[in-house]
Amino acid sequence: MTTTAERSASSAAAPPPRRRSRLRLRNTLLGWSFILPNFIGFVLLTLIPVVTVFYMSLTNWNIFGSSQFLGLDNFIKLAGDKSFHTAFLNTLYFAVMHIPLTIVVSLGLAMLLNSKLRGVAFFRTAAFFPYITSIVAIALVWNLLFSPQYGPVNQVLGFLGIQSPPGWLTSSDWAMPAVVVVETWRRMGYYMVLFLAGLQTVPRELHEAARTDGANVVQRFFNVTLPALRPTMFFVTVMLTIESLKVLDLIIVLTDGGPGQSTTVIAQFIWTKGFEENQFGYASAASVVLFALCLVVTIIQFAWNKRRED
Amino acid sequence: MKRTTLAIAGVAVAALALTGCSGSGGTASGGDADTLTVSGWSLSSTPEFQLLADGFEAQHDGVTVKLVEYDPTDYNTLVTADLAAGKGPDVITQKEVKYLPTFQEGGQLLDVSDVKLPDGISGTDSYTVDGTVYATPYRQDSWVLYYNKDLFEQAGVDQPDGSWTWDDYVAAADALKAGFEDAGVDATPIYQHGWQSTVQGFAAAQTDSSVLDGDYGYLTEYYERVLELQSNGDQVPFNTVTANKLTYQGEFGKQSAALMPMGSWFTATLVAQQASGEADDFEWGIAPIPQADASTTGTDATPVTFGDPTGFGVNANVSDEKADLAKDFLEYAASEDAAKALAGIGITPALLTDAVTKAYFDVEGTPQDELSEFAFSTHDTYPENPTSPDTAAIQNILNDLHSAVLSGSQDIDSAIADAEDRVANEIG
Repeated sequence: MTTTAERSASSAAAPPPRRRSRLRLRNTLLGWSFILPNFIGFVLLTLIPVVTVFYMSLTNWNIFGSSQFLGLDNFIKLAGDKSFHTAFLNTLYFAVMHIPLTIVVSLGLAMLLNSKLRGVAFFRTAAFFPYITSIVAIALVWNLLFSPQYGPVNQVLGFLGIQSPPGWLTSSDWAMPAVVVVETWRRMGYYMVLFLAGLQTVPRELHEAARTDGANVVQRFFNVTLPALRPTMFFVTVMLTIESLKVLDLIIVLTDGGPGQSTTVIAQFIWTKGFEENQFGYASAASVVLFALCLVVTIIQFAWNKRRED
Repeated sequence: MKRTTLAIAGVAVAALALTGCSGSGGTASGGDADTLTVSGWSLSSTPEFQLLADGFEAQHDGVTVKLVEYDPTDYNTLVTADLAAGKGPDVITQKEVKYLPTFQEGGQLLDVSDVKLPDGISGTDSYTVDGTVYATPYRQDSWVLYYNKDLFEQAGVDQPDGSWTWDDYVAAADALKAGFEDAGVDATPIYQHGWQSTVQGFAAAQTDSSVLDGDYGYLTEYYERVLELQSNGDQVPFNTVTANKLTYQGEFGKQSAALMPMGSWFTATLVAQQASGEADDFEWGIAPIPQADASTTGTDATPVTFGDPTGFGVNANVSDEKADLAKDFLEYAASEDAAKALAGIGITPALLTDAVTKAYFDVEGTPQDELSEFAFSTHDTYPENPTSPDTAAIQNILNDLHSAVLSGSQDIDSAIADAEDRVANEIG
């Protein structure tokens, strides 16, 4: 419909200015009408709540009735709250392990499954399975796998001669690495698909030229594949970073933040303060900090990407 | 021109649909003055709400009690959201005492000090804030010791007789373990569930301490004992409980353990599961929970344990007329009539009279020995969650202590020091 409208508009030789502005109005309205249903949903369900959070973070709202305006008191309290410090550091610890590991694993999988092997479609599907599996099931199975006494992971380690394997999810030192392993396993299929799409765009001629010049596999990977993948890599890194900083669901079902506070992350701190202790103002302040953290890291990534682009 | 009209119409429809969504729905209570809405959870497997509703309707002509079902795990969050939206039920069931201050401070609960309660009903203190009563109890679970008589016989160990201190409990566990080995029985002496209350509840009640004190030295002895029981194989380790997601119903019901400290709500579950075949068929009994010292042991003393009541509060925003009806409901739910009916389905009512105890043990499948009757009806029950706005936050901190210590990640002394620091730093 739009195409015919445009064609008939352009075939009419030089319409008078009034008609053109009416046409533009009509097209604008038409465009808006397409976006509007989604936009109204976005405004009602995302934009207004997000803006409200900024105001709530300055109050001591407890969900019922009135609240007092506190100014920056919540943020000052956060700055001195040791549990928040722990959650903040745990979140960074998680992100620092999770982001590179997931990139390496999913890129590795993508390169492996980018060839024309028999049954490659099956392996691609298999690698994608964890991503579409219910998180509760994932938590249950991985908890059993990691079980210190009877778990297969430790039985294999014992078989390999490791005398005292770690307690994984039940050990404060190993719980976070174990959570990272599960999260990486869960997400790798999704990012693999993105990398697969990216690999299809790497020009074959470049590889051939590099090969003619005598570049070996490693040199070709670093000088041809990786630079060509930069847009994909940028997208994946940004998505992974935001997702890592916001991690919550997996931790709740795997460890519930424990043992002790060893896997408590910012999102869980917010959840606990808000929904368990009904300090919605304080929880909002923590949300604002998390938002700022995501924003700053993303801006840095965009700036860095732009510099590389130029 | 036609397309513009279409576009505008489309926008209007979308807008209408969206505003329609947010504008629909009414109050949960409805306008009818003879209809009382009461919040509940898992109605199909928690028959107490329907029982109380039926009993109240039978006493009040023309009155309808409408139960509003909520998800049990997110009950407080969901009720909070409904109340904040002005759509809460008339009678707000208080599932957990630690959330009462939230509702009370938020001005959601009506003063129900004028509701007449029978003498001897327990749990009322938990609902009193500064001398004003904000809810009334109908049910009061207390923690007792469930034991498997068949497993004790197989191991050749003397069954609990009501005289146990914790030392006797440890000795019995050791004897059971040896007995199981000799008899070739595949069971662990004790199953203690992963909740913090299984250690901290007893420690606070039996040392006359409160989680609000900010001083947690009283936990040391109780944790040391559990750690020892775990390490010498008398008790299923905490890490196995959490990693394998064990259920207490399964561990006791399938005879994997001979002793289990648990709240008295488990009786109804166990009776039902034995009847349905979900649990094994075996003889079991209820004993008083082991005591800190001999002064509170024996069937002529009153054992000290812990537990929280479950009660009903009245929505502060109901009309005066509805408030009177709601208060009548509270009075009925706390009455001996209701208590007998509740006991008849295996619930532990807040009011325990001889008639109530009789009704409880008249249920087919309940143990018939005297000690079980004593354990059910006689106890000094301290609240697990004192009524304070700080309780929820403190319990979260103590829960971190619990998992850190029992998982073996941190020793008890440093974990207590950390918890005391956090309470001082984060509360108030």
